[in-house]
Amino acid sequence: MALPPALGQAFRMVAAELGMRSAARLFLRELMGEGGAPLVREARDKLGREFPVLDFVAEQWLSGRAEAPLDPAGVLDALRGVTRLLVVGLEADALDVLVPRLSGVEAGLVTDAGGLDPDFRRVLANYDGLMEPVGLSELHRWAGRRSALLTFVYGTDGHAAHVSPSWLRVSGPDVRTQFRSLIGWDILGQPMTVYPRWMVETCAGDFSCLVGPAPPAPEAAAGAGQPRAPAPAREAT
Amino acid sequence: MTAPQAALVTLLLGALLLQALLPSRRVLVVTGGAALACLASTLLGVATTQRLLAEVPWDVLVILVTLGLLSQLLAASRLFDRLAVAATRLSGAEPFRVLLVFSIAMYLVSGVVNNLTALVLVLPVLHVLLRLMGTRQRYVSWLLGLLLVACNLGGAATPIGDFPAILLLGRGSMTFGGYLSRAAPATFFALAVLLLVVRVVVRPAAGVPRDPVSARLTRAAVEALHRRVRVDRRLLVPAAASLAAMVVAWLFLPAELGVGPELVCWLGAGAALLMARRHGERLARTGLDIEAVLFLLSLFVMVAAVRGTGLFEEISRSLERLPVAPSLQLVAFLVLAGVLTGLFSAGPSMAALLDVAESLAQRLPGPAVYVGLALSVCAGSSLFLTAATSGPLAQALTERADLRDVDGRPIRFGFFDFLPAGLLSFAVIQAVAIAYALLAVWAAR
Repeated sequence: MALPPALGQAFRMVAAELGMRSAARLFLRELMGEGGAPLVREARDKLGREFPVLDFVAEQWLSGRAEAPLDPAGVLDALRGVTRLLVVGLEADALDVLVPRLSGVEAGLVTDAGGLDPDFRRVLANYDGLMEPVGLSELHRWAGRRSALLTFVYGTDGHAAHVSPSWLRVSGPDVRTQFRSLIGWDILGQPMTVYPRWMVETCAGDFSCLVGPAPPAPEAAAGAGQPRAPAPAREAT
Repeated sequence: MTAPQAALVTLLLGALLLQALLPSRRVLVVTGGAALACLASTLLGVATTQRLLAEVPWDVLVILVTLGLLSQLLAASRLFDRLAVAATRLSGAEPFRVLLVFSIAMYLVSGVVNNLTALVLVLPVLHVLLRLMGTRQRYVSWLLGLLLVACNLGGAATPIGDFPAILLLGRGSMTFGGYLSRAAPATFFALAVLLLVVRVVVRPAAGVPRDPVSARLTRAAVEALHRRVRVDRRLLVPAAASLAAMVVAWLFLPAELGVGPELVCWLGAGAALLMARRHGERLARTGLDIEAVLFLLSLFVMVAAVRGTGLFEEISRSLERLPVAPSLQLVAFLVLAGVLTGLFSAGPSMAALLDVAESLAQRLPGPAVYVGLALSVCAGSSLFLTAATSGPLAQALTERADLRDVDGRPIRFGFFDFLPAGLLSFAVIQAVAIAYALLAVWAAR
C-alpha cells in the first residue's frame, strides 16, 4: 500500500488548523488503521524532516512508547485567579480539553498563523463562542493584572523551548509586563529529534509557568531513555 | 431610431460595457450612468428624474434585500458547514462523486439562499477537500465550473433563488407556485443532462489520484476540522420557520388579499431577525448588501429611461414582424437573451428584456416566455466566468486558497479555465430553455 502523492500538502493544511501534534496524531492514526506500522514508517520517512512533530509522534508510536497524555490540570492550576486568557498558537487536542473547563475565564485566540494559513472562522466555530478571535493589534485590550498568555511548547531541555513563531511576536518585553502570567504548555514532553522546522526557539525561563505532561509510567519512562521533561506546573521564574 | 432613443441606448450600453470591462468599478460606473441617464432623459424631454425613480420596482429591491438578510441568518447558524461536511461524507472523497454531490448540494442550497452566500460557505470546505485529496488542474476547472453552473441553475429553480426569478415574482409576471412547479423540474433536468455529459464525454476525474488511504485521510481530516461545529438552533429555527411560513404564504395567500410577495418577504425576514434578537439587530444594521441594491437601482433607472423613449415597444414590434411563426420568434428572443446575459450579466439583461417578454407573453403562453427567459438568462450567466457575480468571487476565493496539484504546481481558476465548462453549460441550458418553451407553446394549443 502506497502513500497518497499529496500527503505533505494535506498534512500542512490540516496542521494549520489543528496544530502540528493534533494533525500528526490524526494522520498517523488513519495511516496505522489503513496500512499498519509499515505505512506509518513510510510516512515518517517521507514527511518527518519537513514536519518534525509528526516525526516525533511517529517515532513514539513505532517504538511503542507511551504518549504524553494531555492533562489540562496543570494549566488550570496555573490559571487560578486569571479572568482573561489569550492563547497563542493552535493545538486542537489541547484546546478541546482545556477551553470547556475555563469557567469564569474569557478566552481569546491570537489570529496570527505563524507561517501557516488557517481559516480562523472554522477553527473558532469548533469552540461555539467560548473563544474569540484576537488580532495582534488588540493585545492591549486583553492585558491586565488578571490576564495570562498561553502557548504550546513542543519539547524543552529545560533551557530552550520550541514554540510557534507567533509567540515571539506576542511576547516581547513590552507585552510581557502587561500580563500576570506567561504560561507554556509542553505537549510533547521531550525535545524533538530532528530540526524543529515551523518552530522557533525561546528561553524556557521566559515563561512564568511551564506546564509539562504527567510523568509517564515507570516502565514507559525506562524505555524512553531519560527524558528531561519539565515537572508538571513548574514555576520557571 | 430617434435622437433620445440613440442617446439613452448608447448611455445604457456604454455603462453596461464599461462595468463588464471594469468589474472593480462596476458600482460607480452604473450609478454614474444612471445619473447621466436621468440628466439626458430630463433634457431630452423623455421623463423627469422623479418619474424614472417612480418606475423603479421597489418591491423587487425589498425582496432582494430581505432574502439576503435571511440568507445571512441561515449562514450564521452554521447550517452550511454541516451540510458541506455531510456532502464530503456522502461523496466518500471519490473525485467524480465529489463533483456530483457538491453540484447537487449547491443546486439545492442556491434555490433558497443567494449564490454568493452559498459559495462563500461551501467553497472553503471544497478547497480543503481538494487539498486533502490531491488533484489536477483540469479536474478543478471542471469541478468549480460545474459548481457555479449548479448555483445558477439552483437560483433559477425557485422564485426566490436569484434576481431574474425574483423580478418575475415581484412584477407579478408569474405566481410563486406557478414558477416553482415549472422551473424546478426544467432546471434539474438541465443539471442532470449536464452531469451526464460531463461523466460520459468529458471525464474530468480521469488522472486524479484515487486510493483508499487518501480517501480515508480526507474523510477523517474534514470531520476533525469540523469536529465541534454545531448548528446554532437559536439562529436556524427562526430563519427556517420564517422561510417555511413565507413559502406557505406565497403559495396559498389569495391574490385578492393584496398581500404581495414583497410584503411577505418583509414580514417574514423581519420576524426572523426579531427572533434572532441581538444577532438579528446586528444583521439589520450591517448585513445589508448595499452594493447589489445600488447596482440594480441604477440599472432600473437606466432601463426606465430607455423604456420612456418607446424603444422596447419597437423591438417587440420588430420581433412580431419577423417572417416566422411566433414560436420561432420566441426562440430568437431566448437565444438573444442568453447571449446578452453572457455579455452583460443577468441583472442588466433581465431588466431590459422583461418588457419585450411581457409583449411576447400577450401572444404566447406566459410560462413558456417567462420560464424560457429565466432559463436563457441562466444559460447566459453560465457562459463566461464574468457573466455572474459568483464567478469572480469563486476565482478570488480559489486564488486565495493557493491550491496545488499533486506535483506541487499552482492551480488557477480564471476566465479560460472556466470556458470549456461554460460553453458546454450554455449549450445544454439554452437547449433546455428552447425545448421547454416550445413544449409549453405546443402543450397550450
